[in-house]
Amino acid sequence: MAEGGGKPKLSTARETLDTLMEMSKLLNTGLDSDTLALCVRLCENGVNPEALALVIQELRRESAAVKESDASGSS
Amino acid sequence: MASRSSGEGNTAAAVLQRLCCKITGLSDDAVVPHYQFALRILGSNVPSVQGTGDEFQVVEKIKRHLVRRGRENDAATFAELHRKLNSQGILKNTCAILHLLLSLIGTGQTTPRAVTGTSLFGRGLSTFATSTPYPPQPASARSDQSEVVHPSRAASDTVLGATGGAHGTLSSLSHHSQHTTASSGFSSIRGEGLSDGPTPVPHTLVGPGTPFTAWREERGGRVGDSRLSSTSRSENALVPRSSRAVSHLHAGVVATTGDNTSAEIPELDLVKDVVYAFQGIEGKWIKFDSGRDGYRIDPQAGIPKAMRHVISKLAECGWLYNKIRTYVESRSTDKAFGLVGQSFCAALHEELTEYYRLIAVLEAQLHQEQDQGISDGDGLTLRRLVVWTFDPLVRLKTLAALVDVCKGKKGGALASCIFSYMQHGDPYIKSLIKHTLTLVSQPVYVTLMRWIYDGELEDTYHEFFVASDPTVKNDRLWHDKYSLRKSMIPSFLSTDQARRILLTGKSINFLRQVCQDRTPIRGRDAAMAVDIKQAQSMFVQDEESSFQKMIDGVYTDTSLHLLDILHSKYKFMDHLKAMRRYLLLGQGDFIRHLMDLLEEDLAKPAGNLYLHNLNGILETAIRATNAQYDAADILKRLDVRLLEVSPGDTGWDVFSLDYHVDGPIRTVFTPECMIMYLRVFNFLWRAKRMEYILALIWKNQMSNARCTKPIPELASILHQCQVLGCEMEHFIQQVQYYINFEVLECSWDELLHKVQEAGDLDHIIAAHQVFLDTILCRCLLDEKSRDILTQLRTIFDLIIQFETAQDNFYQAVNEELDVRQHFEQTRQKRTDQGEWAVTEAEEQEERERRTAFLRNIIPSTRAQMTDMVQRFLVMVTCHQDVSLRFLSFRLDFNQHYKVKEPNSRSPLAMQRQRSRPV
Repeated sequence: MAEGGGKPKLSTARETLDTLMEMSKLLNTGLDSDTLALCVRLCENGVNPEALALVIQELRRESAAVKESDASGSS
Repeated sequence: MASRSSGEGNTAAAVLQRLCCKITGLSDDAVVPHYQFALRILGSNVPSVQGTGDEFQVVEKIKRHLVRRGRENDAATFAELHRKLNSQGILKNTCAILHLLLSLIGTGQTTPRAVTGTSLFGRGLSTFATSTPYPPQPASARSDQSEVVHPSRAASDTVLGATGGAHGTLSSLSHHSQHTTASSGFSSIRGEGLSDGPTPVPHTLVGPGTPFTAWREERGGRVGDSRLSSTSRSENALVPRSSRAVSHLHAGVVATTGDNTSAEIPELDLVKDVVYAFQGIEGKWIKFDSGRDGYRIDPQAGIPKAMRHVISKLAECGWLYNKIRTYVESRSTDKAFGLVGQSFCAALHEELTEYYRLIAVLEAQLHQEQDQGISDGDGLTLRRLVVWTFDPLVRLKTLAALVDVCKGKKGGALASCIFSYMQHGDPYIKSLIKHTLTLVSQPVYVTLMRWIYDGELEDTYHEFFVASDPTVKNDRLWHDKYSLRKSMIPSFLSTDQARRILLTGKSINFLRQVCQDRTPIRGRDAAMAVDIKQAQSMFVQDEESSFQKMIDGVYTDTSLHLLDILHSKYKFMDHLKAMRRYLLLGQGDFIRHLMDLLEEDLAKPAGNLYLHNLNGILETAIRATNAQYDAADILKRLDVRLLEVSPGDTGWDVFSLDYHVDGPIRTVFTPECMIMYLRVFNFLWRAKRMEYILALIWKNQMSNARCTKPIPELASILHQCQVLGCEMEHFIQQVQYYINFEVLECSWDELLHKVQEAGDLDHIIAAHQVFLDTILCRCLLDEKSRDILTQLRTIFDLIIQFETAQDNFYQAVNEELDVRQHFEQTRQKRTDQGEWAVTEAEEQEERERRTAFLRNIIPSTRAQMTDMVQRFLVMVTCHQDVSLRFLSFRLDFNQHYKVKEPNSRSPLAMQRQRSRPV
């Protein structure tokens, strides 16, 4: 794990995450820092990134669809 | 992969679940179906990219993505961030994360639109009972949204880059208001997006903080357009590159204007092809078109226009290379091409070797890349090739130009051609040309050195500018054996230098072969050792003068040495003076004595002359006069020569002195020169003879003066004879004066002066030639003076006639005297005998006889003489030579002839004389 390196590594881990977050913003991936951290963990665990991206997108759409249906249902 | 993630136990699974919760915003329980499906996806269906892609590639892709949308700054920032990430070095799997980011590019706040993804998810969900129904229509509309805006994306991107995520709300709001006015947004969005201030920012690009509702409301108005390109939802980053391009092709307009990456040949392959083309080998797509004499890129191949352009430019290298190589190959085998040509080929080859080195480096890099895949930023691209081949291209171009201009040339001409490029303004090209020229002129320089120091001509291929004619014998060595090949004189050598070089070598050969002098040139060995490498000095003469100095030095040394040998060993001056004394009648006492001795013999017809008699007389004359003090060598060379005898000639006409020349001085006194000498001698001899005859006439007059007294009637005749004789004497004296002082002495002095000043043998030869030409011309022996000469000859003949006539006259007078004496004696006897002294008849007879005598003897010579002298004067006056005109003044100093015919010497008369056809 990236954060599992102990205290001295904690700050560097944060920095790394910040850097990644900046990249993410630059690329407009729409990930917030928590999500990104989770993704990083998964990737570090060897999860296929493309598959993960697919999952993320699908989940987003799912939630969007749910929200939409909620919204239409409420209005 | 799935086994790995599951094998690692709960952590990964827990993280995934948290992720699901986070994204969907559902509770732990509600998210279960999503979580399950996510697990399924991760476990199975997407092929792993880890093996094929590497970090660099991913980063490049991202950067390219950014750059393509005009966000160069962001690309740079991203590169910077990536570098930072690497330096932190915590992540084990940076690549994977980057890949994830790449896959998620542009998905922020918009719902993903991938058809593949949707159907996949939908299909996946349908297997689960808990799945939410998937509404396809809104999804397609949303994807359409981003697609439509695509063309103006670059513009909107910049705005976004400037305003940042904080303005997300504002921009989306303005976007919204705009769409309420726009009826069917396709064209209006594009147009206004490019022109108006608040850009209609597409939601794919709006920052993370954008309210979700904004685009949803807007989308309502745009549902109608959504079907237009519902198939081309290509922006989904998950779709592989190729399939995305295919969808572009379907989209039609976009496909043609955009980068047609579908058939795009990987740049690496193109680079490989280009490197082949560099070597003149045809590649897969770059073919040599012999019809158009150039490389042609396969028009079918999917290569963008810009790249084609770059490739055509690069292919120029190959074309030039081919050209040079063909030349080198064709010439290398040509034996008759000569050393200069060979060294040119060698120089070209050297340059080509440099070029090969470049190609080798390129190829090595290419192989490396192929073996390792793209590892760092140093990969070969066409752009890099353009930069790297810039200098070689310039070199090749220059060399090809040289090859063009040197076609069919060899030797010095080739060097001249190359030298003409030396004035190039570009110092880079200039130094290249200089280098080439140094190599090319090396053989010329070596030959030149051998020539001016050793006099050896090693020029098997006739490339050197000195040509030798092996058929010429030693006696004509100086004049005919060596000559300049004008076409082969390199243009960096001046004509004067070429002449000096020719002379230097010629002098050495002359010394060796004719003078038998083998003294080596001073400083030869040192010079050969030093100079042999300095071919460059030949064509940088405007910068330094070492070459000129060297040439001058050797030239002066050699020439002076030669002259020294000529003067000391071969006594050139003595021979020259002997010529003057004997052939040009400088030795007066000798000539006079010779004439005295020869007079009798020469009066005979030419056929009765015998050389041995004349030789004997010559010997006698030499021994009796000051000539005996001359060197034996010179006297030995003196000889009598009889010219060709024509009928009626007397000995005077054919007699001539001769002077034998041999060895080195024969180079100066060539047979042609000797003939000129003989002609001058003949003329001088005649003039001298006139003087001699006139002296005889005078002698006769004097000796006969007393005995003619008894006949008083002759007084007037005798007077006339004397006047005529004086006139002739005056004429001949003036002519002699003219010849001796104005012609011979002046020219002689000039010649002596020039010989002393002379720097080389050529100067002497030229001065001698000038001397002879001047004498010939002034002695009226040249073509132009032929008329005057004829006139002069006639006068000479007249003098001879006069002599004869006077002789006859005196003979007649003597006879008359005898007759009268006899008559007187008879009369005296008769008177003594007491008879009549004369009878009537006798007296009558005597008177008649005397009248007849007087009538017959009146010489008609005088009138002729005057007439001829006048004519001669007119001719002389018309002559171009100034000194001859002086002669005419001197002849007519008291205007004796002018009085008789006043117009004869006026300019008008001269003109008349000239214009009158003779």
